[in-house]
Amino acid sequence: MSYVDAGYIVAIGGSFLYGLSLFLRRRRWERALRVLESSPEERPAVAEHP
Amino acid sequence: MLHDAVLVAGKDLRIEARSRVALWQVVPFAILVLVLLAFAIGPDQASLRHAAPGIFWVALLFSTVLAIQRSVAVESGEGTRDGLRLSGIDPAGIFLGKAAAIGLQLLALQLILWAGVTFLFDVRVHVIWLAVVACLLATVGLACAGVLYGALSAGLRVRDTLLPLLVLPVLAPVLLAGSKVWQAALDGNVSSGTQWLKILVPFAVVYLVVGIVLYGPLQEAA
Amino acid sequence: MTDVSTSNGVAIRTPWRPRWLAVVGIAAVVTTALTVWLGLWVTPPDEVQGNLARLLYIHPAVATVALYWAGGVALLGSLLYLWPRTRAFFWDRLAASAVEVGAVFSALTLVTGSLWGRPVWGVWWTWDARLTSTALLLLLELGYLALRRVPADPQIRARRCAVAAILIAIDVPIVHFSVDWWNTLHQSGTILDPGFNLHVHGSMLWTMLLSFVAFTLIFVWLLAMRYRIEVLQDAVGDQELEVSLSERWNEDAELVGVGGSGGAVDGDEVRGP
Repeated sequence: MSYVDAGYIVAIGGSFLYGLSLFLRRRRWERALRVLESSPEERPAVAEHP
Repeated sequence: MLHDAVLVAGKDLRIEARSRVALWQVVPFAILVLVLLAFAIGPDQASLRHAAPGIFWVALLFSTVLAIQRSVAVESGEGTRDGLRLSGIDPAGIFLGKAAAIGLQLLALQLILWAGVTFLFDVRVHVIWLAVVACLLATVGLACAGVLYGALSAGLRVRDTLLPLLVLPVLAPVLLAGSKVWQAALDGNVSSGTQWLKILVPFAVVYLVVGIVLYGPLQEAA
Repeated sequence: MTDVSTSNGVAIRTPWRPRWLAVVGIAAVVTTALTVWLGLWVTPPDEVQGNLARLLYIHPAVATVALYWAGGVALLGSLLYLWPRTRAFFWDRLAASAVEVGAVFSALTLVTGSLWGRPVWGVWWTWDARLTSTALLLLLELGYLALRRVPADPQIRARRCAVAAILIAIDVPIVHFSVDWWNTLHQSGTILDPGFNLHVHGSMLWTMLLSFVAFTLIFVWLLAMRYRIEVLQDAVGDQELEVSLSERWNEDAELVGVGGSGGAVDGDEVRGP
């Protein structure tokens, strides 16, 4: 693989992976919020930083 | 004793995994030391390459001090240390556990520093096993001495300024020998390297044994 | 879908989901794909650097995003948060999001720069002003992110981080100048930028401009996504506070019902949900 190809893959792939991580993190936080907003029966302790 | 050690090590590592202080603070700090030392030495590529082994070990030593401070701080909450003492866990086990936890973190840090030095200073390690063995031996010594001195300064108000002053001179032989071994590893000079390894071995052994023996009494005194 | 503005005490029901986000995302993908196609196949190789010059359509755009877009938004957000007239958590959250995205792009800048520099100069790294100050910027951004993770009251945290961001913005140019000076005294002062000696014309120029558009769109999309998480995190924090307060209130109520001793635990302010 040439340096050029590596450069393209790093830049675009890196942005993509970061975007993916943001997507996954958002889902986890939304889930945490839903758990907390639902009625008081449940409440397993929600971790600070999922 | 070993079972307790595993317990304590697991606790410390889990705290780190949850809070990620080492990852977010100690690692950037280590890289920062690399950068600062490069500034100090100057932009000449040859000088930087020559200084690279020393820079690696200095960065590691400073980061070790941070890691120890973190390890001590984890237990500085009200009554945590008393709780540990009263829980009946063998103090030698606590020592080994904390040392193991720090040791693992230091090993991970060394990998990162190794990559950093290779990348930033354009050096290549030619005798890899020399460098690896040096790092492993040094880690044992650093972790054991670190936990011991951490316990020594724990609970003191001046802990943060006292700890570096106490522990860095003690760790100096590691810096010395480590740099020499790495220099040899970069140059490919195996015989010189193995000479210097011989300093790292007794250092590690001594602090391991001393720690196991003295940690208990130290906790009582604190 | 409205944005949520206050932080203390107002429970957020709908997560922020602007309609333009999907549009930006699609535009980002399209322009990026176009850039790649033009960059790798359509544009000609350079006379001097050959195919290496194709990194011209990646590295400068990424660097611009890291340094100017992300840094600019972070600085602006921090300033606007600190200025009493415009203070709102929106700016704090935006700034924090920009710093994280900026850190990612700083790292990408360093990697793409190395990949370009290695075949051109023969080394992975040189201590020239551009690269070094980008490296330092990355470290400073990591410091900011570490600071942000320290648990604190949202207003205190916001103020603290805003000041940190401003200090970073001041520091990076200073570092850049110093390292430049440090280098020029040592060498003849050439700018060690692999793209510096490239003669950019015709299709190369258009493709490079397109790459700027593409990465800017990517930046905006990532920033919005990250901002959304910031809002959610604060919402969870608020909700946790409400939950623990209401649980404590219920405990107190029970104690009052049973023993009539008041049930106050020392150190408590008794506040209802």
